[in-house]
Amino acid sequence: MTRLGVKVGSVSLKSPLILASGTCNFGHELSEYYDLSILGGLSSKGLTIKPRAGNEGVRVAETASGMLNSVGLQNPGVDYFIEHDLDYMRSLNTGVIVNVAGHSFDDYMAMIEKLDPHKDKIDALEINLSCPNVKAGCMSIGTDPAQIREIVSAMRSRTDLPLWIKLTPNVTDIKSMALAAQNAGADAVVLINTLLGMVIDIKTRRPVLRNNTGGYSGPAVKPIAIRMVAECSKVLDIPIIGCGGVMDYKDVLEFMIAGASAVEIGTASLIHPTCPVDITRDLTDYCKSNNIDLSDLTGTLELW
Amino acid sequence: MNKEYSCKVLKREMLTQDTAYLTIDCPEIAQKAIPGQFVNVSCSRFLKRPFGIASTDKENGTFNIGIKIVGGGSGELASIPEGTVINVLGPLGNGFDLSSDSYILVSGGTGVFPINFAYETLRASGKDVTMVQGFRDKSQICLTSDDYIVTTDSGDYGIKGTCIAGLDTIDLKKDQIVCCVGPVPMMKAVGSWAEAKRLKCYISMEQRMACGIGICLVCVCKKKAEQEGVPFEHVRCCKDGPVFEYGEVIL
Repeated sequence: MTRLGVKVGSVSLKSPLILASGTCNFGHELSEYYDLSILGGLSSKGLTIKPRAGNEGVRVAETASGMLNSVGLQNPGVDYFIEHDLDYMRSLNTGVIVNVAGHSFDDYMAMIEKLDPHKDKIDALEINLSCPNVKAGCMSIGTDPAQIREIVSAMRSRTDLPLWIKLTPNVTDIKSMALAAQNAGADAVVLINTLLGMVIDIKTRRPVLRNNTGGYSGPAVKPIAIRMVAECSKVLDIPIIGCGGVMDYKDVLEFMIAGASAVEIGTASLIHPTCPVDITRDLTDYCKSNNIDLSDLTGTLELW
Repeated sequence: MNKEYSCKVLKREMLTQDTAYLTIDCPEIAQKAIPGQFVNVSCSRFLKRPFGIASTDKENGTFNIGIKIVGGGSGELASIPEGTVINVLGPLGNGFDLSSDSYILVSGGTGVFPINFAYETLRASGKDVTMVQGFRDKSQICLTSDDYIVTTDSGDYGIKGTCIAGLDTIDLKKDQIVCCVGPVPMMKAVGSWAEAKRLKCYISMEQRMACGIGICLVCVCKKKAEQEGVPFEHVRCCKDGPVFEYGEVIL
């Protein structure tokens, strides 16, 4: 393991950098830009039991330092993914994280039953309890500790695969959500998914997004994500994967100091597809010039 | 491997009151680009802005884009000082099928730019091309020539009417391919005109975009579903398009 190597529970990753779900599809397109094997992992587009066309109309709205999306979990369905994309993801020589979404308790269980037989090709399941762009499931589950507990413990009893629970920041107390996931048997939590937002076109007096609201991401949300990682780090025993507005290596360091064991890169890939190459180089230089292993940084934050 | 390039803006000129034309230094893009493809260009805003490639000069290693001012980002790029270095991703997307021997090219709005590239490329390989340009009025006319059929809605230049009035003046040849880039109503009208004449027709779509490389799924177009159980499918404008055969996506 090089100085960038990290562990998320039982999962060893060669780098803390994971491409966030929904910003890398299944890896095919970004492979045209760089060798994805430099990454710690790749989290697939959020998958559902049946294919989803996603939301109609305008799906993106720009802000001063971020963007809102309302894609609405467009995906080819888990069966198609297993047949066409899973082996490809495995061949990339990086961690394979499969993002699991659903509209109901039964959907999530059916997803586990579909994916568990392929556990030799999967490093972890990232359970999406946080997408804000669908009418049922996802965020509506992730804002209720009782439902988080119910769904995570039921998944726990159905698979030995590492369960990383991706949580929504659209809650009053993120710690109670993260603790519910931990107590139900989660292996890690991913903090955070997008924030629910709205952008209005002042000429038409209508929301820019056809779905009215969307998930806000980009550098604007980073301080919120950092705060939530820091808060949860003080109360959790399981590892945290940080996510939200990472644009450069300093952002990665910030997340790790706050308590993250690994860090996801999302919106930055939409602006500069090769940014993980630069971040990897800069993190390597940082470890060298400070003579440390990157994982030593995790949770070194000292509050005033 | 594809790359993001840092490129110098060599020249900026205004074609109309609200449309700029940039000459950008990038030998790789000039070499690789085919008509119908686009580039995603950085400005001070958060997201890049997509522009159809309007021309390439392989010898000098430059390419051109046309920028119609529609908002802050395009406004900034349309007034960019010469010599500024910008980040450019490209060439992106799929281009036109240029394998036939005879073409009718139709453009309107910012469609004049990718269609200009198609015209130059086809003419350079000695192919038969008829060019039809539809503009709102004389003030919008750019990248034109006396060899083209020009229509204006107002009638203050060329043939009065839409580009269909221009198309109806052409003596059609067998196996001619129509390529049309313009506002959706124009592409609809030209597509159905071509269908009636039994000519193959390609169109190029425009959507609000983010990544431009097919990973974020925000710039989708509706397509009739092939799979059962879904009312329609979404295809990515940036990666599966922007060029589609007429009828492939729902306009």
